[in-house]
Amino acid sequence: MKNILFLDPGHAFGLENRTSPFMSENFTIIDQYVFAETDLTPFKAIVVHDFIDQIYMEKHKEKIAAFLNEGKIVVWAGHLVTPWLPGCAIFTPKEIKNHTDYEISIVKEHPVFEGVNPDEMTYNKGVAGFFARGSHTPVPVDAEVLLSLPEDTPITYIDRTTTKGTIFVHSGRDLFALRMQSKTTDRISTQLLQWIHDEYERLQGGTN
Amino acid sequence: MRKIAVIFSGNAPHMRTFNEPKYKQYIEELIYFPEFAEADLSRFDVLFIPSQLNEGLLMKNKEKIQTFADNGGIVVAFGPQPWEWIPNQQWEDRPANFWWWLEPGADSGLRLVAPEYDLFNYITLADATWHQHGVYWPVEGAQKLITTADGGAVLYVDKVSSNGTWIVTTLDPDYHFGSYFMPATERFLDGFLPWLAKGEI
Repeated sequence: MKNILFLDPGHAFGLENRTSPFMSENFTIIDQYVFAETDLTPFKAIVVHDFIDQIYMEKHKEKIAAFLNEGKIVVWAGHLVTPWLPGCAIFTPKEIKNHTDYEISIVKEHPVFEGVNPDEMTYNKGVAGFFARGSHTPVPVDAEVLLSLPEDTPITYIDRTTTKGTIFVHSGRDLFALRMQSKTTDRISTQLLQWIHDEYERLQGGTN
Repeated sequence: MRKIAVIFSGNAPHMRTFNEPKYKQYIEELIYFPEFAEADLSRFDVLFIPSQLNEGLLMKNKEKIQTFADNGGIVVAFGPQPWEWIPNQQWEDRPANFWWWLEPGADSGLRLVAPEYDLFNYITLADATWHQHGVYWPVEGAQKLITTADGGAVLYVDKVSSNGTWIVTTLDPDYHFGSYFMPATERFLDGFLPWLAKGEI
């Protein structure tokens, strides 16, 4: 059993994830609606997909909080629309007047985005807007902001203070889908994976 | 006005799209998908099935949806549907043509083949033009409204496969509007929902 749990919304766009070797080698994939009955003991981290049923997640928010308070990790990449994730504000879309309003900046060097060209996050075949279109603001007080949109709009942060665990939040789509596009953004999926394992060691090693 | 029920997935894009006041005014009820099996559909005229629903719940409720149409109801299905649950469904998955419009003067590939249909008093072909994830090959007797250049259906109306009406499209504006991307998808919904509520089908 792989020790990172991936909650699969069971949607049409997610079909590829169920047959991808990258996914099966690195995650235990379960249907979102099995989460309530799933024993979380074996898992270091839970990855919650952007198409997740957030009414269901809100019903099980205590289970998420308890998991985090065991010194474990939750990775959320999506638009939060119900309050199921500790410390995370509801998503606010950014007002977009011009394509430059979609420009991604690296706020702080971090292993997850090491070697990633910000322009390749902003643009896909010259078109901006795929990567992030809003934020979960305000971010928790001591959160470490990694990426932003213009006007210091944080889109990606790490929160180590709201719970005893670590919460990674990104206000775009599933970061593990960034693979095999022959761009520097391909690094994000594998670097995020490595970061989860390293972060878990740190959390369990008590060096928080 | 027809009474429209929408199956509600609880995902972020649907949370925005179906709670948007200009669309919600046409929606009688959002039925949360995990509770759909127990829902009484008898007071609704239209059952609207958005894109990107959970496969397990969709297949579990396939018969209930088909029974609604067989009782004379109107069923609307949006978006790519890789699982068989629509009567006489022939879905052909195609790589999405995300980038056709980057080429100056490029052809989107879409054809309006039934311009007289009342829907087109509410939307234009441009309002239905972004990208497609595949096409349908509907059963004989069904009417294609929008097709690709090779005749695959992007939007069709089927009044022969059930006692009711199936309105099926590969388009997924419910997702794109709800994720704050692509303005044409908003224009599509601006026209489609009023047509569904009061137009000639």
